[in-house]
Amino acid sequence: MTSAGLSRRRFLRNASLAGLGAVGSGSFLAACATATSSGPVKQAAGAVTVQSNLSSPEAKKAIEALAKAFGDKGGATATVNTVASETFRTQLPSYLTAANPPDTFTWYPGSLLSGYARKGLLLDVSDVWQGMGDYSAAFRALSGDGAGHQVFIPTSYYWWGFFYRKSNFAKWGVQPPTNWTEFLALCETLKGKGIAPIGLGAGGTTPWTASAWFDYLNIRINGAPFHRELLAGKQRFDDPRVKKIFDPWRQALPYFDPNGTAIAFQDATTVLLQGRTGMVLTGTFFADAAPKDALDDLDFFQFPILDPAVPVAEEGPTDGFFASARTPHVAEVKEWFSYVATAEAQELYIKNSSGTVLPTNPSAKDTGTSLVQKGRKMLADAKEITQFFNRDSSDALQPTADAALIRFIQKPNELDSILADWQTAAQKVWQS
Amino acid sequence: MAVLTAEKPKTAARAANRRRRVSPVLLAFVLVPLVVEGFWVFWPALQGFYLALTNWDGVSAPTFVGLGNFAEMFSDDIFKTAALDTVIWLVLFGGLSAAGGLALATLLQKERRGVGFYRAALFTPVVFSLVATSLIWQVIYQPDGVFNKVLGAIGLESWQHSWLADPKTALYAVLVPALWRQLGYVMVLYLAGLKGIDPALYEAAKLDGATAWQQFRNVTWPQLRSVNSVVLSVIIIDSLRSFDVVWSMTKGGPYHSSELLSTYMYATAFQSLRLGYASALAVVIFVLAFGVIVTYLVRAFREDS
Repeated sequence: MTSAGLSRRRFLRNASLAGLGAVGSGSFLAACATATSSGPVKQAAGAVTVQSNLSSPEAKKAIEALAKAFGDKGGATATVNTVASETFRTQLPSYLTAANPPDTFTWYPGSLLSGYARKGLLLDVSDVWQGMGDYSAAFRALSGDGAGHQVFIPTSYYWWGFFYRKSNFAKWGVQPPTNWTEFLALCETLKGKGIAPIGLGAGGTTPWTASAWFDYLNIRINGAPFHRELLAGKQRFDDPRVKKIFDPWRQALPYFDPNGTAIAFQDATTVLLQGRTGMVLTGTFFADAAPKDALDDLDFFQFPILDPAVPVAEEGPTDGFFASARTPHVAEVKEWFSYVATAEAQELYIKNSSGTVLPTNPSAKDTGTSLVQKGRKMLADAKEITQFFNRDSSDALQPTADAALIRFIQKPNELDSILADWQTAAQKVWQS
Repeated sequence: MAVLTAEKPKTAARAANRRRRVSPVLLAFVLVPLVVEGFWVFWPALQGFYLALTNWDGVSAPTFVGLGNFAEMFSDDIFKTAALDTVIWLVLFGGLSAAGGLALATLLQKERRGVGFYRAALFTPVVFSLVATSLIWQVIYQPDGVFNKVLGAIGLESWQHSWLADPKTALYAVLVPALWRQLGYVMVLYLAGLKGIDPALYEAAKLDGATAWQQFRNVTWPQLRSVNSVVLSVIIIDSLRSFDVVWSMTKGGPYHSSELLSTYMYATAFQSLRLGYASALAVVIFVLAFGVIVTYLVRAFREDS
């Protein structure tokens, strides 16, 4: 009895000392959810660990090439640790609060970043920024923590638009539209030819793609400042101004591919390339899944202007790195960050990836294709840049948008209750 | 050890002898796993119960809210949908896999030519991971997937459907692959049970002129009681933890129509980062599973003794 009691007490004490960190966040739900294990990251002496969620083959290849080139320079080295995106996202709080965290992480700026920064979990890299030259003010603002420190290094960004195949548009004898009326007319023409005009890949596990429509309609009608306020919880989803943006969406809804909410975006890409849908509102990442020969045939047009009085904003999601405040390799991390911010590193990355992203370093060259030139110009001409729904709001808010928007596409007549439910769901997220 | 200390003095010598034999090795065999189990299972579980009483975003310190999370469930429509769907899942998935597994087992228990092939074929799905299974079924359910093509080929065009995208059918469409996999598993459990029945009982029943149904009703079924409690426990646990198949096919969508308590818990925890509320959901799932199984097992064993 005594020895058992003793060892239990000792166990409890040990557990409370050593166990809290380890048991903290992941395993308490393990009884019910199938937890994905991703144990502590092994620290090589002196090497910067780069915890990466870039798991698509081309992106993985590109970031590994980057780490290799960094190591070849002499000085510090970097090891890439690629984790499936979903695992990465769910484990990020555990990574950052761990006693021995990975040093740096691929991520994007947005509310989640500033949330972590406020909690003191991110490394202040303001001094790296001082050596980064003439990065644009927009990127500088995007990478701040709101309290005067820089906590993020942007390395690439991309754009969204209506992508289509040039050869198909030529075959159908249609032109890219320049305004909403022409857009609807184009849809009508395509529908008349038996083609689903607007493709959508919001089925399966990618319902978030529908948020692009919400984002664009909102920044076109209510403008980027309102959009950001709405996504930050300072406006309500059942606001009449939000309701208004569903009017043009309703006009476009009859032209949506009826299978749009049943197929994932990868399949929507295939359907577009096969010419069964006319165009898809998407980001350039979809090109990762397109065969190389189809890449040259792709073109895009800007989301049509709905209200000329509203300053033009475009979605330009930015990707890059941040570091854990608890990293034991501060000097090495900053060396790595200084490297990835250079034109040389970003050109290397782009050369090894699918080549549709833009470098953030103003003196780095992109791939130079006409598609990329056009995308770059569209973002440069925009008065405002937004990120994307989950980046301007949070990953936590994304599921509320998914439920609301898919329901709107399927049951547009229930808009009032959809928006009311959305507001309720969003409030719970903001309050927690 | 409580037993040892309670030993009477006159057997002290024997007790000391036994204690010496028991102490070092056996104690280690009991205590080491207990410590490991306690550290990796009981301690996190207790933490889960504690977290259910807090609001926690996974990063900041949890704030204590008492039973607030449980109170919230009463006004949470998604929770109600998820609970209802879980009940539907329990009844359909549990009921059909138990009934189907038993039917298949009785059908395939007699050694005949080729029966091994059928058993193997029905058991094969159990081998695949549910995530892989659901990816295959996702392709089958596609708007121009095999399922709709077959419906078209046999003249049922009007039945063609976006099975996973329609809130009316999503839950049932997801249920089919889960069932497809579970049937073989339950069948094997029942086959083992059927093999254990003394053939003499059937001979006796036949001599008494029992029909096939009477044999099943009065011999097979009572003999399967212990297997039944295993199957019941297995299917209740499996239905309450059904997660992977739903998550990889629909993520609980479209708009929560195929949401189970398990997927809702996961989404709340790791998407919405409301770990306190998610822990409360986990507690509900635990209580459901534990409650049902314990009630049944207690009754089953009482009848036995």
